Amino acid sequence: MAEGFDIDHLAKLARLSLTAEEKALYSSQLNQILGHFQALAEADLPATIDDARVVNEAALRSDEPGPVLGAEAVTRIAPASRDGQISVPRVVDDES
Amino acid sequence: MSIPPSDWEVVIGLEVHVQLHTRAKVFASSPWGFGKEPNEQVDPVVLGLPGTLPVVNREAVEKSILFGLVVGASVPEHCSWDRKNYFYPDNPKNYQLTQKDFPVVVGGQVEIELPGASRNVMGEHKFIRIHHAHLEEDVGKLSHAGSGSLVDYNRAGVPLLEIVTEPDLRSSAEAEAFLRSLVAMLTQAGVADCDMEKGQLRCDCNVSIRRRGVEKLGTRTETKNLNSISSVRDTVIYETARQIRELEAGRSITQETRGWNAELARGYVLRDKEDAHDYRYFPDPDIPTLKISRETVARLAKLVPENLYDRQRRYVEKLGLPYTAASVLVNDRALAEWFELAVAAHPANPSGIANLVANDLLRDLAASAGTAGAFDESASAPVSLLSCPIKPAQLAGLVKLTDDGVISKQQAKEVFSEMFKSGQDAAVIVDAKGLRQNSDTGELEKIVQEVIADPAVAKSIAEYRAGNEKAINALKGPIMKRTQGKANPVLIDQLLRKFLG
Repeated sequence: MAEGFDIDHLAKLARLSLTAEEKALYSSQLNQILGHFQALAEADLPATIDDARVVNEAALRSDEPGPVLGAEAVTRIAPASRDGQISVPRVVDDES
Repeated sequence: MSIPPSDWEVVIGLEVHVQLHTRAKVFASSPWGFGKEPNEQVDPVVLGLPGTLPVVNREAVEKSILFGLVVGASVPEHCSWDRKNYFYPDNPKNYQLTQKDFPVVVGGQVEIELPGASRNVMGEHKFIRIHHAHLEEDVGKLSHAGSGSLVDYNRAGVPLLEIVTEPDLRSSAEAEAFLRSLVAMLTQAGVADCDMEKGQLRCDCNVSIRRRGVEKLGTRTETKNLNSISSVRDTVIYETARQIRELEAGRSITQETRGWNAELARGYVLRDKEDAHDYRYFPDPDIPTLKISRETVARLAKLVPENLYDRQRRYVEKLGLPYTAASVLVNDRALAEWFELAVAAHPANPSGIANLVANDLLRDLAASAGTAGAFDESASAPVSLLSCPIKPAQLAGLVKLTDDGVISKQQAKEVFSEMFKSGQDAAVIVDAKGLRQNSDTGELEKIVQEVIADPAVAKSIAEYRAGNEKAINALKGPIMKRTQGKANPVLIDQLLRKFLG
């Protein structure tokens, strides 16, 4: 089957730097896996509801506010915190 | 800001994220609200701690269904939730609970009204189709400080309805009109408050351009996280101009995710398609599929308020209101209902009531709330009627006194101000101020006869008798003068016609 993926792109998304040998190896393994899924995909199975997993509205929660942990408890379980907030390495999804 | 040359057409689709009006979060019982100290509105379910299970909030589901009914969508038999996996610290569980295959709302449409040629002229109406809307959880808030970032999870788990349009919008003005209309519908149905200053409504804006007449859509860009209607409008204008510039320079448009810097009024690239996340969606194993009963749908259908443009058409066509007054009233459901109570108390003159409500009442309410002039800036700024000292029937009483000729329109304004101050009935104020116009027929008959006998008006009388209707007006001035303006104009007219008959 034709490759349905670009190994360089996948490696980039997974934050992996791969050698040429690894690329060849993983490409062939991924192709095998995709082959299995292609066999599955040939079955005519529209998105359906699994009746065994269906509940009615009685299983919903009422809109009643309950207790909270408090900032002190929340920050205590984090590796690092500051001023009631959880501290993480700088992540920027911003103009920079 | 450049306007696209006419041979380019812009195609816009919006994803509008709205925080639903609930007390507790969507899958957890933690309360939520704006302005709390960081991480004070968090419980173990919000954080996805081991051993916790999400349970869906009924109110959030019902508000979503209500939205569907408001836009005429079909409410599916079932809806279910999926995990959208991604790694970012705004997300405590490393996945966001959302709906992918079976959303709670499918289809529907939103009527919009474009600005008219002037304030008192109604603009074009269009329908924008809704693709679907899904109920998901909001994520936490990040702030960046020095070398690190800080995370506040108060917002994580807040019920968020993501409303996705078809690419039906064709200009920045249409995008703006759509959002105003959507906000009015959401707030009038009580689905959401849509307070943009509190981040309760945020948009992702998909923009592409194509040559006019070409059917195939161009490559689109998505500008994320726009938190005001004006940012959406400015993004469309900016992005349209940028894409035209690129294509006319012989370059191509890259499918990319962009951000918007409102301060500098410019967009920037966040990531291109090569960096597109693979969210590895799969059905959430913790939340069973929900069957939505038709009884619930029927019950919620009764809560759907009259559509604002249906209301506007009814006001103009059935009640004879000028467009300007009708368009102001329908933007605010409470105000419109207040107006209708007044009309019920005095059905003879809806326009007279509408003018007082849309002008005098709104002005005085805004002034007393210290927000003068704020009203027409936004469709979502209803002035509080809770503190209104005048009751609808009292306003009707004032209009009736004017219609019966007891006081003049000018005097009505004065009485209105007094009513707003004291909350008294119009009739009480009219009597206390001695404003009642003279309706004593006997005295007035005498004055009318004296005026008719005056040779100075003989010419006018002759003209009137010869068939010139308007000539009668020349006689009214002298009568008014002799009664110091207190005579009832309707009565004067009747008496003149009787004596000249």
